[in-house]
Amino acid sequence: MSAAETDETALRLERLIASPPEVLFALWIEPAELARWWAPDGYKALVDTLEVKPGGRWRIVLRGASNSAAMSGIYRIVEPPRLLVFSWAWEDAGGKRGHGTEVTVNFEPAPGGTRLVLEHRHFETSQARDRHDAGWAASFARLADIAAK
Amino acid sequence: MMFLPMTRAHAPQLDHVFAALADPTRRAIIERLLASGELSVGDVAAPFKISTPAISRHLQVLERAGLIERRVERQWRLIRVRADALAPVETWLTRQRRHWASALDRLEALAAVRTPKRKKS
Repeated sequence: MSAAETDETALRLERLIASPPEVLFALWIEPAELARWWAPDGYKALVDTLEVKPGGRWRIVLRGASNSAAMSGIYRIVEPPRLLVFSWAWEDAGGKRGHGTEVTVNFEPAPGGTRLVLEHRHFETSQARDRHDAGWAASFARLADIAAK
Repeated sequence: MMFLPMTRAHAPQLDHVFAALADPTRRAIIERLLASGELSVGDVAAPFKISTPAISRHLQVLERAGLIERRVERQWRLIRVRADALAPVETWLTRQRRHWASALDRLEALAAVRTPKRKKS
């Protein structure tokens, strides 16, 4: 586990991609483009809603041969072509949204392309939830210590 | 491995964990148990200015979420944090990481197609 991932409530992926931020950003905000890469093998992504603006909703359905699943959320921050922050929750079979998590995607210009940094947190940090987040993060860090013993 | 959305098996348990920890008193109880190891119900309740029945209800929520466990030792009812309390969260991390890793592979491949070729200078 990398040093950046000491927080047990968040995951972080970093990629150097040989494309400019503008090109990458477009792949995240244009429905037809998003549908081309979002779905795992064996699934097709159907972009139901993609209102790419602060407060806008998004919803994507993954359809497989025998099952399907939907995920949805709200865009919190949209700063083309550098930053995207949105909430994320899986929906159950009845369409009820589960626990809300938060995804932050940074598109930093780098020599030859873009350093894409994606963070997915358990807890939404926007909307004055920061203090809760800190409390939870501390609790889980402690739980992790105990679990490791 | 087939992609299985976490909605079915894992989200409910995870939701219980988060719902349990959403309450400041319950977080404080967990913190107290983590600091002390194992405590009786009375010891858990001691620093809180709420009734014992209220504490009991909080403990029930924490127990249902799989965060704490109880045992009876002679006349004591003891409570501690479960060693595997973190398991649902780790499962979430593992699944979500797999999702993103493969998604970013596909993103990168598509980006290569969409990126105009540049002449080396």
